[in-house]
Amino acid sequence: MSAAHPIPRHRAYRLLVTAAFRAEFQYGGNLLLTLAGGVVAQSVGLVFLWTVTTRFGDLGGWPMAEIAFLYGMRLTSHGLLVVPTSQLHSLDLAIRTGEFDRYLVRPAGPLMQLLCRRVHLPTLGDLATGIVVLSLAAHHVGFEPTPTALLYLGLALVGGALVEGACQLAVASLSFRMLSNLALRGLIDDIMNTFGGYPLKAFPDTARLALTYLLPVAFVAYLPAGVLLDRADGLQITPWLAYGAPLAGPLLYAAAYLLWRAQLRHYSSSGT
Amino acid sequence: MSGPIIEVEGLAKEYRRPVRVEGPLGGLRSLLSPRHVTKRAVDGVSFALAEGELVGYLGPNGAGKSTTIKMLTGILRPTAGLVRVAGLVPWRERERHARNIGVVFGQRTQLWWDLPLRDSLELIGRLYGVERARHRATTARFTELLGLGPFLDTPVRQLSLGQRMRGDLAAAMLPEPRILFLDEPTIGLDVVAKERIRDFIATRNRRDGTTIVLTTHDLDDVERLCRRIVLIDDGRVLYDGDVARLKERYAPHRRLVVQLADGAGWHGVRVPGVARDDEADDAPGQVTLRFDPAGTRVADVITAVLARHEVTDLSLVEPGLEGVVHRIYAARGAA
Repeated sequence: MSAAHPIPRHRAYRLLVTAAFRAEFQYGGNLLLTLAGGVVAQSVGLVFLWTVTTRFGDLGGWPMAEIAFLYGMRLTSHGLLVVPTSQLHSLDLAIRTGEFDRYLVRPAGPLMQLLCRRVHLPTLGDLATGIVVLSLAAHHVGFEPTPTALLYLGLALVGGALVEGACQLAVASLSFRMLSNLALRGLIDDIMNTFGGYPLKAFPDTARLALTYLLPVAFVAYLPAGVLLDRADGLQITPWLAYGAPLAGPLLYAAAYLLWRAQLRHYSSSGT
Repeated sequence: MSGPIIEVEGLAKEYRRPVRVEGPLGGLRSLLSPRHVTKRAVDGVSFALAEGELVGYLGPNGAGKSTTIKMLTGILRPTAGLVRVAGLVPWRERERHARNIGVVFGQRTQLWWDLPLRDSLELIGRLYGVERARHRATTARFTELLGLGPFLDTPVRQLSLGQRMRGDLAAAMLPEPRILFLDEPTIGLDVVAKERIRDFIATRNRRDGTTIVLTTHDLDDVERLCRRIVLIDDGRVLYDGDVARLKERYAPHRRLVVQLADGAGWHGVRVPGVARDDEADDAPGQVTLRFDPAGTRVADVITAVLARHEVTDLSLVEPGLEGVVHRIYAARGAA
């Protein structure tokens, strides 16, 4: 009889995550340096934001501080997502090298194993920058930290992370049938990064609609930020959809996971 | 006696690959109206293994070996047919199945590349929920048997191929799986490392009763380890049975190599069924005879040779599996 016994998923996850962090630190204590790199990279975006708003005063009627709040929310969500899921980018690689075979012969979920294959430390810089910007901006816009507001903010941040994650997971799933769709994934990342942190009201209607319903960028931060900043009326969207924006994340992620499961059936392994 | 531990019936796997459309706007047309070619890599394979068997699964490159193993281990879903391993359908009950099997792919490692070997073994033990005391005991035993001690604390990426392979074997066997799949476990290894690994495999099979499926191009592995082989080519089973019977069927002849004394000439032997072997590459003063032991007694041949010649050395050569397999593929290719 085999000596193996089932273990709870959360324990398997903790084991694999710890191993990934340990592996990363084997390369020497360059944590601070990588973190600093992440912060600098994200700050470039902030400088751009600052330049735009000081030149035009506001965007779509949103003053600088409020845009910074929105930008901070989106960056924090992004950080919350990429710290644990940066390795989704390596799916093509894992399929091509046959590494993915290994995930399928182990008693743990293949997606969990893929996400835990490594950690990308600079992503911690994204998260840190996001939190700093959000905190500073919250102070400037006079955000009142009532329990309800804080709860809504927390849900919105997690929800936003899941919206972005759902888009990435859905596209990554296609890798099982058509290898290498990195271009498509890069495009989605670019759109999220470029537009996710700005008030969509500033864009033409077609762009705004596309960024709401085609690629749900609006649900990442724009809609919930509008609710928190008392701008729900100016969002050009049914209020209940704006208030319910944090729910979009879990729903979309569940759908993306089902797609992943369905596509996984088409996995055909590599040549050898 | 319970039923077989591995059942494979009418197993088939087709790969559909998109083909790029040639001509103007080829890329776009490939995307919009994709064309596919279908290749049948495994085409109706059936066999059954009893618990505790050690079977060699052989075939030339592209015969469908790896594809079969991938279906047995739960990596691929079959296009048609039935697979049952320890009562489970591998791809349908993947994680439960994973706890019953160990897998070693010779060409890639299952270990954590950047961590010391010790950590990988520890992680495997926890991931498979092996009871702590049992895990410690098994690790100690395997460390001893495979000589892992000197490199337990070395990161896997710095191990030599032979060391890594031993580490992989230990990791695969730590959860004490009922079935072990080995894909080219000795590829690229030196003689000493090969021997060590073969010993380990043989012992796991004999002592722990682990059922083992071995694919390899190294027929020495097979001769050393397997009593039964399944030979496949073109996705179908060519032969399934004893190694000894296979030799009888495809290479019934034995050879007697005679070394004549200095200056002595060859006068032939008059025993029915014995002939000089035309294919043999005889050195000066050396003569190779071939005969079928079913019809001709070895003693008679030797007596006849000694009666007419002055001889310094005699050796009897059994047919090697290498030659046998080679002959089967050659015959099939010619047909």
